[in-house]
Amino acid sequence: MMINFELNGQPTTVEVEPYTILADMLRDELDIKSVKKGCEQGECGACTLLLDGNPVASCLVLAPQVEGRRVTTLEGLEKNPLMIDLREAFVENGAVQCGFCTPGMLISAYALLRDNPHPTEHEVKRGIEGNICRCTGFTKILEAILDAAERVSPE
Amino acid sequence: MKPLPRFQYHAPTTVDEALLLLTTLDQAKLFTGGTDLVPLLREAACSPSHLVDLNKVAELNYIREDSGFICIGATATLTNVAVSLIASVAPALVDAVSRIGSPQIRNRATITGNLCNASPAADSAPPLLVHEAEVTIKSLDDTRIIPLDDLFAGPKLNSLEPDELVTEIRFPVPPQGAASSYKRIGRRKAFTLSVVSAAAYVEMNGGEVKEARLAFGSVAETPIRTPDVEVMLRGEILTDGLLVEAAEAVKCSVAPITDVRGTAEYRRDMCGVLLKRALSEAVERAR
Repeated sequence: MMINFELNGQPTTVEVEPYTILADMLRDELDIKSVKKGCEQGECGACTLLLDGNPVASCLVLAPQVEGRRVTTLEGLEKNPLMIDLREAFVENGAVQCGFCTPGMLISAYALLRDNPHPTEHEVKRGIEGNICRCTGFTKILEAILDAAERVSPE
Repeated sequence: MKPLPRFQYHAPTTVDEALLLLTTLDQAKLFTGGTDLVPLLREAACSPSHLVDLNKVAELNYIREDSGFICIGATATLTNVAVSLIASVAPALVDAVSRIGSPQIRNRATITGNLCNASPAADSAPPLLVHEAEVTIKSLDDTRIIPLDDLFAGPKLNSLEPDELVTEIRFPVPPQGAASSYKRIGRRKAFTLSVVSAAAYVEMNGGEVKEARLAFGSVAETPIRTPDVEVMLRGEILTDGLLVEAAEAVKCSVAPITDVRGTAEYRRDMCGVLLKRALSEAVERAR
């Protein structure tokens, strides 16, 4: 079936079977490789992207469900000022080791800081509770997100 | 990675269209959030020929107050509930849904899905039981409203007919002096199934408990109310002594099992602990 949706600001049309998972469609048909497939049960958060601006696990979304909707992945936020702050904070705080969880972690952190620019440590923990990192033990990720919140220039 | 089994996908835009699909298609399965269903499809624990996705049915996406009831439409997500008017009238429900899964899950999962899957551990069930929620069920030629308790037929089993659809969950707007609370124990705080959970609802008249309702999750084949213990509390002043008595009594009202998440003995004991915590908080909030 044909699916029309907005991918990172671009109108996109793609033909897939109805039983295709969104994460697969993005990776295999549209070369969006920031979307990682980890647990494929919605638990690890590596496939997190924004659907109409809200973080969702794309391994639990069917491709036809994005018809007419807005999908944003890390690729689409490359030049976003908040994402640049986050990216730099992740690098400078050593919040990246193997990197597999990083795109999903950045998307969750982005949605958190967008809606709550100055979160408490507890709020950051809640914000990334759906993203698992097996390398860092989360401490550096937590520090990076709090650091990024400091960098965000006041509007 | 495992592909999903093949199915045909339908995205009706009205309730009638959805009901017609349910009635005419063979082996059709309803789809709202997909956070429970997609993993089941992937494990081939469920292989419907047709999926009927309700997300494009605009008339099912709402949370509103109507004729003395708070009404939650079938596709309202847990996030929708958490940020809605419900926080002030049924805090137990917001306590519960804010702890289900993660933001990614709560942005997709629905209350109706959580209830229709009929897990004994469904976090939204105990709060809705103590708020005396009702379920609106539609088929092509009938609409019926049943108490939430009657939706649960057994572990992971609901009482719906194949051609029926839950369109709404509703509960009465609580009177002045009412409040509720939800407490749970999991193996950790974030993103985990409840090992035991408890909801308490009270209506206070000064220091006196005018109305008390209690419900528990993961301690029986379905989420349950404990009427025997509620009776002990009605018309009483909630003293520490009464709390202890109620906490002891509740252990006889539940029938938990031992599984990988906890033993029956542990669950029974924790019912007492959670009863005290939930009831105390509900009374505190009612002040």
